[in-house]
Amino acid sequence: MITQVFRKTMQIGVLLSLLTLVPTMALAMESSDCKSCHDDTDMVGEELMIEALTFDQTAHAEVGCPACHSSVTEDHPDDGLAPSKASCAECHDGVSEEYVNSIHAENASCNDCHNPHRALGPTAVSGQDMNLQCSTCHENVEMQAKHAEWLPQADLHISTLPCITCHSASDEYVISLYIIKRQSGTPFGGFELASYEELNELSGGKPVQELVDINADGYISLAELRMFNRDSQNKQLRLQGMMTPENVSHDFRTRNDRWDCSFCHASGPEAMQVSYLSLAESDGSFHRVSVEKGAVFDALYGTPDFYMVGASRSSALNYVGMAILAGGMVMPLGHGTLRFLTRKNRKDEEE
Amino acid sequence: MSSKIKIYLQPTPVRIWHWLNALGIITLCVTAVQIRFPEHVHLFANYKAAILLHNAAGLVVTFSFTLWFIYYALVRRNMVDVYIPSVDDIQNGLLRQAKFYMLTYFLGWANPHHPTPDNKFNPMQKSAYLAIMFLLVPLVSLTGLLLTNLSPMRDLVLLVGGLKILIAIHFLLACSLCAFLFTHVYLATLGKTPMAYIKPMWTGWEEEDEDHHPHSAS
Ligand code: HEC
Ligand code: HEC
Ligand code: HEC
Ligand code: HEC
Ligand code: HEC
Ligand code: HEC
Ligand code: HEM
Repeated sequence: MITQVFRKTMQIGVLLSLLTLVPTMALAMESSDCKSCHDDTDMVGEELMIEALTFDQTAHAEVGCPACHSSVTEDHPDDGLAPSKASCAECHDGVSEEYVNSIHAENASCNDCHNPHRALGPTAVSGQDMNLQCSTCHENVEMQAKHAEWLPQADLHISTLPCITCHSASDEYVISLYIIKRQSGTPFGGFELASYEELNELSGGKPVQELVDINADGYISLAELRMFNRDSQNKQLRLQGMMTPENVSHDFRTRNDRWDCSFCHASGPEAMQVSYLSLAESDGSFHRVSVEKGAVFDALYGTPDFYMVGASRSSALNYVGMAILAGGMVMPLGHGTLRFLTRKNRKDEEE
Repeated sequence: MSSKIKIYLQPTPVRIWHWLNALGIITLCVTAVQIRFPEHVHLFANYKAAILLHNAAGLVVTFSFTLWFIYYALVRRNMVDVYIPSVDDIQNGLLRQAKFYMLTYFLGWANPHHPTPDNKFNPMQKSAYLAIMFLLVPLVSLTGLLLTNLSPMRDLVLLVGGLKILIAIHFLLACSLCAFLFTHVYLATLGKTPMAYIKPMWTGWEEEDEDHHPHSAS
C-alpha cells in the first residue's frame, strides 16, 4: 500500500517535473482548451469526442491532455498535423515490461483493452465492465463453451467472475456486490447491472448509495444489508457478488490453483472477509462503499444470493448440522452399548 | 432344529436400486465433507475432483431413485402397502415396535414383526423409510440439481429465497440423511446375526424359522 502510494507520487512527480522542464508548444493549450472542442460532438464529431465528465474522473485527468498529445500546437486543428499519441510505456514502465513479456503481448496492445480517456483502476471498474475489455476479442458464448470443457458451471463462472481474477494476479481479492435489476417486460427476464439512471430513479432524489446505506453514514452494516435484501425483491433488484482483484498484474499467466478451483474455493474463510457495495456513478465509473466485515458468511439474508461453495459457509449452520449428525449416532452408540451389555440374554437364539 | 423356510423378500430391481443408492449416498457424504471444508479435508486429489465426483454420485442417486419409484409405483404397484403405515401401524404398531427396540430386544425376545413381500417393514421402518424416500431423498436431489445448474435455473433459486437458503436446505437435509444412514446401518445389524438382515438385501431371500410362519400385520 505505502509503496504504491510512493510509486504513484513518484510518477506524478516525475511527470510534473518533465512537464515544466521540457516546455513545448503544447503548453500554450491546456486540457480545458482541448475539452472545449473535443467534449462537443458539434465541434469534432462522434469519432473524436472525448467525454470530459468521464475523463475528469480518471487518474489521467491529472496528467492532462497535452502530456499525451505533446505535439498539438496552438494552430491545431488547422495546422493539418497529426497529433502525437504517447505510448503507455512512457509512464507505465512497470506494467508495460510485464505485459511485453507475457504470453498475451502479441495478441493485444494496451489500447485494445484500455481507452486512455476512460482508464480507471480496477476498484473503479465493475466486474462486468472488466469483461467487456476481453469480450471484444473473446466472444462470451465461445468462452463459456471453451471453459465448460473443464470448469463446472462455466456459464455461472463466466458471468460472475472477471476474467482477470483467473487470468492475472493481484495482492488481494475482495467481494464486490453490484445491484442488478430485472429487465423490464417479462417476469422472467434476465438481470442486468443497474445503471446510474435506474438507481437514481429508485432512490427518488436521495443519493443512490442510500438505497442500501439507509442511515447515510458511508458504511453498510449487516442490518442495513439484510433490510435491503428483504425488500429488494419487490423492486426487482438483487445483489450480485463477484470476486474482484484490488490490483492487476499483466502477465496473463493461467495459474494452476485457478484450474483446480482451490484458489477461490479452498482458501478458507479469511479470504472472504472484505466486501464492498459497488455502485454506478453518473460518470461511468464505480464508487465503493464498505460493507461490514464477514457479510458473506451471514447464513440467510446478508448476501442471500451469493455463495462460494467451500469458502463462504456459515458456521451457525455447521453447528446445526453437527447436532443432526450427533442425533444419528444416538441409536448406534446408546443402543449398541446396551446391546453389548445384554448380549447373554440373546445367546440361545443366536446359536 | 426347526426347519427353515425361505421367502423372496427383495426383488432384483429393489436390490440394484438399494446398493446403487447406498454407494451413491456414501460417496456424496464423503465428498461433501471435502467440498464444505476444503482447507481441512483432503481426501480427493483436488477440489475439482471432489466436486465432479459429488455431482456424478448425485446423478446416480437421482437415477436410482427414479428406478425405485418406477418399480414400486408402476411395475409392482405395492408402494402404498409397503411404505405407507396403516392406521393400526400408527395406533399400535409403532409402540409395539419401539417397545421391542428399547426393551424386549435386550431381554432376548423375538422381533414382533415378520416380513412378507407386501408388508416387509415393521411400523417404525415404514415411517422412517416414508420420510427418507418421499421427503429427504427427493428434496436433497432436487436442491442438488438446482445447485448444479444455477445459471439456467436462477429464477427457481430466487423463488426459494436465494442461493443461501437453497444451500441451507440442501446441507441440513443431507446431514439428516447421513444421520439416518448411521441409524439405518446399525439397525441392519440387529437381526439374529449381524448379517441376517443384510444378506437378504444382497441375495433377495430371507430365511425364517417354520414356527414363525409369516403373517400379515394389518
Ligand atoms: C478548436 C477546436 C479544437 C481544439 C481546441 C482542440 N482540438 Fe483536437 N481536433 C479538433 C478537430 C476539428 C480535429 C480533427 C482534425 C482533422 O481531422 O484534421 C482534431 C483532432 C485531434 C486529434 C487527432 C485525432 C485523430 O484523428 O487521431 C487529437 C489527438 C487531438 N485533436 C487532440 C487535441 C488536444 C490534446 C487538444 C488540446 C491540447 C486539442 N485537440 C484541442 C479540434 C480541436
Ligand atoms: C494518458 C495519455 C492520454 C491522455 C491524458 C489523453 N489522451 Fe487522447 N489519446 C491517447 C492515445 C494513446 C490515443 C490513441 C488511441 C488509440 O489509438 O486507440 C489518443 C487518442 C485521442 C484522440 C483520437 C480519437 C480517439 O479516441 O482515439 C483524440 C481526439 C484525443 N486523444 C483527445 C484527447 C483529449 C481532448 C484529451 C484530454 C481531455 C486527451 N486526449 C487525453 C492518449 C491520451
Ligand atoms: C504521461 C504519462 C502517462 C501515460 C502516457 C499513460 N499514463 Fe496511465 N496513468 C498515468 C498516471 C500518472 C496514473 C495514475 C498513477 C498510477 O496509477 O500509476 C495513470 C493511471 C492509469 C490507469 C489507472 C490506474 C488507477 O489505479 O487508477 C490506467 C488503467 C492507465 N493509466 C492506463 C494507461 C494506458 C492504457 C496508457 C496508454 C494508452 C497510459 N495509461 C498512458 C500516467 C500516464
Ligand atoms: C484485441 C483482442 C484481444 C483482447 C481485447 C483480449 N484478448 Fe486474449 N487473446 C487474443 C488472441 C488473438 C489470443 C490468441 C488466440 C486464442 O487463444 O484465442 C488470446 C489469448 C488469450 C488467452 C490464452 C493465452 C494462452 O496462450 O494460454 C487468454 C488466457 C486470454 N487471451 C485472456 C484474455 C483476457 C483475460 C482478456 C481481457 C482482460 C483478453 N484476453 C483480451 C486477443 C485478445
Ligand atoms: C474460473 C477461472 C477462470 C475464469 C473466470 C476465466 N478463465 Fe479463462 N481459463 C481458465 C483456465 C484455468 C484456463 C486453462 C484451461 C486449460 O488449460 O485447460 C483458461 C483458458 C482460457 C483461454 C485459452 C482457451 C484455449 O484453450 O484456447 C482463453 C482464451 C481464456 N481462458 C479466456 C478467458 C476469458 C476471456 C474469460 C472471461 C470471459 C475467462 N477466460 C474467464 C480460467 C478461467
Ligand atoms: C488483455 C487486456 C489488457 C491489456 C492488453 C492491458 N491491460 Fe491493463 N488492465 C486490464 C484490465 C482488465 C485491468 C483491470 C480493470 C481496469 O482497471 O480497467 C487493467 C488494469 C490496468 C492498470 C491498473 C492496474 C492497477 O493495479 O491499479 C494499469 C495501470 C494498466 N492496466 C495499464 C496497462 C498498460 C500500460 C498496458 C499495456 C502495456 C495494459 N494495461 C494492457 C486489461 C489489459
Ligand atoms: C452401507 C449402507 C447400507 C446398508 C448396510 C443397508 C442395509 C439395508 C438392509 C439390510 C435393508 C433391508 C430392509 C431392512 O431391514 O430395513 C435395507 C433397506 C432399505 N434401505 Fe438400506 N442400507 C444401506 C444404505 C442405505 C441408504 C444410504 C439408504 C437411503 C438413503 C437406504 C435406504 C433404505 C430403504 C428405503 C430400504 C427399504 C428398501 C425396500 O424398499 O425394500 N439404505 N437397507
